[in-house]
Amino acid sequence: MKQQRVRGKDGLIRISWKDSLITIGFLAAATVACLLMHGEGKTGSHAPLVFVLAILLISRFTNSYFYGMFSSVVAVIEVNYIFTYPYFNLNFTLSGYPLTFLVMFSVSIVVSMLTTQIKQQEKIRTEIEKEQMRANLLRAVSHDIRTPLTSIVGAVSAVAENHDKLSEEKTLSLLGDVKEEAQWLVRVVENLLLVTRIDADSAKVSKEPEPVEEILAEAVAKFKKRFPGAPIKTEMPEDVLFVPMDAMLIEQVLCNLLENAILHGGVVSEIHLNVRKDGESAVFSVADDGVGIAAEILPRILSESIYRENSENIDGKRNMGIGLTVCQSIIKAHGGIIKAYNRKEGGAVFEFSLPIKEG
Amino acid sequence: MPMKNKVLVVEDEKSISNFIVAILNANNYDVVTARTGQEAYSLITSCCPDVVILDLGLPDMDGMDVLKAVRKWSILPIIVVSARTNERDKVEALDLGADDYITKPFGTAELLARIRMALRHTRTSGANRDVAQNGRFSAGELTIDYEKYRVFVAGKDVGLTQNEFKIVSLLGKYAGKVLTYDFIIREIWGPNTNGDNQILRVNMANIRRKIEEKPAEPKYIFTEVGVGYRMIEGE
Repeated sequence: MKQQRVRGKDGLIRISWKDSLITIGFLAAATVACLLMHGEGKTGSHAPLVFVLAILLISRFTNSYFYGMFSSVVAVIEVNYIFTYPYFNLNFTLSGYPLTFLVMFSVSIVVSMLTTQIKQQEKIRTEIEKEQMRANLLRAVSHDIRTPLTSIVGAVSAVAENHDKLSEEKTLSLLGDVKEEAQWLVRVVENLLLVTRIDADSAKVSKEPEPVEEILAEAVAKFKKRFPGAPIKTEMPEDVLFVPMDAMLIEQVLCNLLENAILHGGVVSEIHLNVRKDGESAVFSVADDGVGIAAEILPRILSESIYRENSENIDGKRNMGIGLTVCQSIIKAHGGIIKAYNRKEGGAVFEFSLPIKEG
Repeated sequence: MPMKNKVLVVEDEKSISNFIVAILNANNYDVVTARTGQEAYSLITSCCPDVVILDLGLPDMDGMDVLKAVRKWSILPIIVVSARTNERDKVEALDLGADDYITKPFGTAELLARIRMALRHTRTSGANRDVAQNGRFSAGELTIDYEKYRVFVAGKDVGLTQNEFKIVSLLGKYAGKVLTYDFIIREIWGPNTNGDNQILRVNMANIRRKIEEKPAEPKYIFTEVGVGYRMIEGE
């Protein structure tokens, strides 16, 4: 009982036009069906079953307890009044009938409660899933942040507390590590900040047509700042190609993919950054000739941070981290598709497509 | 001994202003620091810095307000420092008259390069000195001839249209500086053009095809996504 009262606020009393119409519609349909059968001279014993079916459907397609319960009461009265002898007369005292009606009433109520409950459980399940995704991201992030922070704090205190004992060379190398780790942190935070540009409710971004070459140029420039002399080759269509996108986000995706190629590709002698027009979409691809993606992680590489399940890599923060997860959500928010595969000649390819038509 | 340039650092985070001061002192600049907008404004009026490095998030007022107030009477170079990755802030700061912007976190080399460039621009009062003296701008193989209204790459006329030439010459005049879309559009098409920057983007794509060998790896004109364009500094 207590539970019902708690749910009552949003489950029991919410009434809408649509739900009311659905209820009336099903009840009317049940009545008509029974009248037809009745007219053909069949006995009234079908009527309760038909009404139970109607109640089941009503509970399924409406959004509150109220309609199921209400229909149960209506159905019991209607069956008694119209379809049970004496016709068009309420009579609960006939021998055996009170029991029939009682059973029908409780069946209806239980059915309507059950379907409502199933719907609520579904809602709870998706909520839990969402929560889990959030928790996963948080865990990945805190791992991505904690590891470099540990080494920064370690290196800096080593220098601060032992400055007279450390050789200058050693000090510089420690400080070099600090810089490297800090830059990693900067990128993690940049990725996180960018994800906040995706609208949380609709999971959409605000797009504007951008010339592809400008995005490529800026991504390559940023990348080269970090990895001067990286062996990168770009290719794109001769004609100007405008693609609707959030420029900052797509630039970040390209940077993440380029970085991955260098950091995880093993020995990479060439990175190809290509854009081509394929029907109604623009296809961006980043291909390297490194070691490729291990077969066991290939199917999951885009959706989950890999290292947490893979014990030998647990400390390898330079595993994909949140980078690819972020890429995935950015491309999805653009209405595009991202995929990863290995090349026959060796090396990995990350490819995503964006729709060219606005919308 | 050469005169040292004086830099005013406006930054409320002590650790950040500490390291900026350390870098600048080590590179032969005089440094004055301010921690609030009020303090910054009075220091700008009283001790005449050569460059101001202005953080936008200040405890007492928005850095943009300091910028606005100073620009009413001075063209003193101001470099805006912002933790915001939002390109709208950068555009707003540039349109309010900031000379350059730098996004946190930044490296030493980047900071020093921006300061050097800002100082060079004061000496030449905004527009490029070469342009004023010789009527031409050159960088690498690119030459803009302001008298003949022609642009050459490796000695060859690239055949720009009139509007394309106007855009390139404008960028050349302010080489090294980011010019916002709005600024360029106002200069080329007049103040009453609607806010759409597509026409500029298309023109720029055509220019790039005429002067750059590889449009996706430009050597002369760079894009600052969401903000505007910048011509490489001349020689």
